[in-house]
Amino acid sequence: MTAALPWLTLVVCVALTAVRVPSAIRGQNRTMFFLFALLSVDILLSIREPYLALDAVLGGFNLANLLLRFLLYGSFLLLGVRTAAAFGSSAGMRAIRGPVGMAVLALVAVLTAWIFFSMDTRGSTAGLSGLPQTASLESYAALGRLYPGYVAACLLPGIWQAVRGSGPALLRLASGTLFLGFCLLLLSQGFPLVPESASWLRPAINYSAALASALGLGGIWLSKSLARRRARG
Amino acid sequence: MSLPSKAFQRWLHGVAPGVSTSDVCRASGVKRTTLAQQMVRGKVAESSLVRISRALELNPVSALASFDSYADLRGTPVAPTDAELISQIAAMDLLRAVIARNDPGAPQRFELVAVPHETSVRSWVEAIDDGELRHRVSHATGIAPQNFSAHLTANRMPPELAVATAREAGVGPAGGLIASGLVSEEEAGWPIGARRAALDRLGTADLVSLAGDRLQALGKSLHRQEHEKDRTERIWENLG
Repeated sequence: MTAALPWLTLVVCVALTAVRVPSAIRGQNRTMFFLFALLSVDILLSIREPYLALDAVLGGFNLANLLLRFLLYGSFLLLGVRTAAAFGSSAGMRAIRGPVGMAVLALVAVLTAWIFFSMDTRGSTAGLSGLPQTASLESYAALGRLYPGYVAACLLPGIWQAVRGSGPALLRLASGTLFLGFCLLLLSQGFPLVPESASWLRPAINYSAALASALGLGGIWLSKSLARRRARG
Repeated sequence: MSLPSKAFQRWLHGVAPGVSTSDVCRASGVKRTTLAQQMVRGKVAESSLVRISRALELNPVSALASFDSYADLRGTPVAPTDAELISQIAAMDLLRAVIARNDPGAPQRFELVAVPHETSVRSWVEAIDDGELRHRVSHATGIAPQNFSAHLTANRMPPELAVATAREAGVGPAGGLIASGLVSEEEAGWPIGARRAALDRLGTADLVSLAGDRLQALGKSLHRQEHEKDRTERIWENLG
């Protein structure tokens, strides 16, 4: 189950990127196409085999992991800005793109890079799980969860409004799925509290969060396509 | 709520002995799978009963009345109050009436739009509400006031609640069934032309203020719809 989840998430993300190709070619909502392509790359890089392949090219000292972190920060900035605009959450928008949000992002990015280069990261290992468990590594991992969690927290109230509103049923369901995904991202902040015996819970929560968010965004796209089709008759 | 399937089967057997369920479904247009599902769950929807009674050329209100939970509907139909009748006239018809009274050149005998209109449930409840009605209904049926309001906003009302609301208001039991579109005026025993007659009896001043109130309520509901539509469009625009 936990072994299949990453691949399932990847397939969903790639499929959702693919369905956007025609409209991206027409020039509609290219940002969402790039966002999904970016998310697909994120997921791809978090899976063991592709990670090891890329890291070997980059010198075998886990630079691919740092790259993945920065790609994730970028994805969440883009996703956050788009989602805040979509759900009409001006407070969320300010918290993500305003001075506070930018300061949080800059701080997280600088600290991530700094900790990474201060560690001995030789020996390619996906998710850095093969490295000795030091305090630095713990903080590096925590930083990686912090920014997505921050963005999720900024967006939850706005999305909840749409879930409770009276829009089309599919749109509300999709918003609810997105809401669930972001809740899981918040939950992942508590990973240090997960006991070693239940360590499988961490990737399960991570990939469920990614999967729920992707499915939620896909559902929004689907509800729009169906409504447009119905409007055309 | 709904009708227990045992009682429904007994009723069906009583009114159409020897007719198979599939024949009943074909004649009434109720989907066979839908009815079968409702029977298995033990809850047959009132709307199914109404369609089946119409197909069997039975009066749906009398059919409903044969079930214990609709015992209120038994006996001779209670005449609607003028307020109830007027509540079932669409806002646009009220406006037409305002124009007709103030302009002799305007069409005087226009056809009233059939019941239910787009705010008929709320208008009906407002017409029979003495100020304490919602409180009494919520007390008697256990429905939360916000759920009651949600029904009014959505312009619908479950039949059992409609009958209970009429009971608490002390008006004829079928009014809510008409307002929610379950049965027609004729089926519930409202005299033909009663709405028109009530409209003609209504003084011009009352008519104008009533039309104004309705127009205001309509404006509010349109605002809400437009707001919701904008919200949906914005989500689609950014993430779709």
